[in-house]
Amino acid sequence: MALSRRAFLTASGGGVAAILASRIPPARGQQWEISYLCWNNFAPASDKKLSEIGQRFTKDTGIRIRIDHIAHPQQPSKYASEVQTQAGHDLVEMRMHFPWLYEPQLVDVSDLVAELERKHGKVLSSGYEGAHVNGIWRAVPQYHGMFLAAYREDLFKKAGLKVPDTWEDLYKVGRELKKMGHPIGIPISQNYDSISTASAVRWCYGSTEVDRDGKTVAINSPQTIEVVEWYKKVYRDCMEPEVLSWSDASNNESLQQGKAGWIHNPVSAYIVARDKKLVTADGLNHHRSLAGPAGRHETDVPRSIGIWKFSKRIEPAKEWIRYLLGKREVYDEYIMSGSAFNLPIYTNLQDHPVLKTDPKYAALRNEGAQYHTYGWPAPPSDKVQLITNSFILPNMLAKAVTGTPTREAIAWAENEMQKIIAGS
Amino acid sequence: MAVGNVGVVAATRPPLRVRVRELLDRERVLGPLFIAPALILIVLLVAYPFCVALYFSVSNAFIGRPSHFVGLKNFINLWGSDAFRQTFQNAFVFTGTAVACKLVSGISLALLLNQQLWFKRLIRGAVLLPWVIPTALSTLGWWWMFNSLYSVVNWTGIALGLMEPPGPNWLGQKYYAMTAVVVVNVWRGLPFFAITILAGLVSIPRELYEAAEADGAGPVTRFWYITLPLLKPVLAVVVLFSTIFTFSDFNIVYVLTHGGPVNSTHLFATLSRQVGLESGRIGEGAAISLYLFPVLVLVVYAQLKFVRKQTY
Repeated sequence: MALSRRAFLTASGGGVAAILASRIPPARGQQWEISYLCWNNFAPASDKKLSEIGQRFTKDTGIRIRIDHIAHPQQPSKYASEVQTQAGHDLVEMRMHFPWLYEPQLVDVSDLVAELERKHGKVLSSGYEGAHVNGIWRAVPQYHGMFLAAYREDLFKKAGLKVPDTWEDLYKVGRELKKMGHPIGIPISQNYDSISTASAVRWCYGSTEVDRDGKTVAINSPQTIEVVEWYKKVYRDCMEPEVLSWSDASNNESLQQGKAGWIHNPVSAYIVARDKKLVTADGLNHHRSLAGPAGRHETDVPRSIGIWKFSKRIEPAKEWIRYLLGKREVYDEYIMSGSAFNLPIYTNLQDHPVLKTDPKYAALRNEGAQYHTYGWPAPPSDKVQLITNSFILPNMLAKAVTGTPTREAIAWAENEMQKIIAGS
Repeated sequence: MAVGNVGVVAATRPPLRVRVRELLDRERVLGPLFIAPALILIVLLVAYPFCVALYFSVSNAFIGRPSHFVGLKNFINLWGSDAFRQTFQNAFVFTGTAVACKLVSGISLALLLNQQLWFKRLIRGAVLLPWVIPTALSTLGWWWMFNSLYSVVNWTGIALGLMEPPGPNWLGQKYYAMTAVVVVNVWRGLPFFAITILAGLVSIPRELYEAAEADGAGPVTRFWYITLPLLKPVLAVVVLFSTIFTFSDFNIVYVLTHGGPVNSTHLFATLSRQVGLESGRIGEGAAISLYLFPVLVLVVYAQLKFVRKQTY
């Protein structure tokens, strides 16, 4: 039916009058829009799924959401600029200790975490270390991705090598692997994978950078000497000097391209090899984290979602977190899309169906391992994070393996750490 | 009477368009008007951030927290850090070596490009390529070339019998790593030198060379006594700009070595990012990036004075 000009004017005029009289904006106008900034996930399917979930969220709640992604090296500068200008996204994805750095700028989300813990069980220890800042949850734990061992199972079988259970066992098989032309690939350079492996080895041998009090530098210890000596012999007998120049991706590439026989890494190396149908994919497998005299400790990378205090849409932002992490079916769907690179960070969900999607994920259960973030057992204060970000630990090891006497290398690291701790 | 006066004034006043035109005819009005947009941009995008950085460098600013004035404490404390002292040394080695290499190769390339060559325009255009491609992107290419797993540099060297397998660990040993970052910086900065020096060469009158040739001067003598003296002002400006750009380089080191191995290639910009942004300590980060500011001001002052002396 055609709408006459008179009818249109009457209807629209009446509508405007009604809106003005009621003093309530129309539903369309009052619809919230929130924005969420997160990293380019190493499992790209997960980002695609996030976008799908975002669209459903808008449909179900009427809250529109814009999801932006940036590469992880750009996150610190982007977050710093948002905080300094007090403008930007409402929600931000935070890696490891980010909530500690931005503590005064993040909304208290303890209520949300309590809700999620009631549903899914307690947050894993690493998630707690990263986002529970001075007694308050400053971000909501989202998922985690821990390091473990990725190795060439085909080579191990061929040479009759036993899968290692301790770092010392690794040295023994590493010697054989190097003789076979497939050295171990542990980076000793200024990247975060170097810190991840060095931290795990350090914890397993009982070595500490800074004590629990966050003030006492404790790196100069007999345990650290053991760690350095272990690194020196592994570098000499099981690896090649190339590890001194490696980036975060180099160990993955070395394993995928058929050179390295064993690396310490999350499952991403295998996922990429499998998805790209590389010839090495079938021969790869994982085994659980290695142990040392002080137990079985593993580096974990928890990720959480924070809400900036300057956001004008805090409640709708919380609604998004509830929708993504609180609804079991949505959370499961999200985790499944990450193909075991993103794992649930709540205790009751540890035996997740994602681990059954590939027999090579069996090791991800990682029984008996304790998860930590960098700097543990010290609280991740800004000073402890500066110690981490200054790459003092891998640089100490790089000095030692390239000729600096062990005690001298440790004394250098101790001195650098003490200066940071003593600083303002 | 008063009403009458007003009426007379109103009637003789020229229209607005005429008055604006007259106003714009005055140099004292038009000059500042032309400069204003550039000035506003400089104030907003250069002066303001610079002043904020200056304040940060003398404060204990930490991302998102209130800051306090701490005087020169950041600058003094930085000397206690081994990483900073190493960075300080790296900056001079990197800048000195790279600028010297760029200067020598830039003059050589410019002299070559000034010859009558086949496809001269094409070659001159191609020479600019390294300078035109985004640095981060081209450095990624270099990273692959120096990469321990795929190094085409080592592969070629070994194939030609110039290197012993497996070849140098370019990015894993401090001297090689510094060589690698200098090489990439020279590769990237060479076109700027060559093209600017070429412009200087073209402006030298041919008659001078012809007269020298008639007097029996050879190529080296002509270069030494004609080309080089007349190029001095251009060279001074090019070296000035390049010194500043090279001191503040970021991309090449960040992509190639991330400052490693053991901080041996860190520059002020990369260390500043590590401390200021990744660790949140904006005050210290700003102090690192501004550490050489007084020195650079002196360098700029001395070089500009030299250029003026040469020009006038």
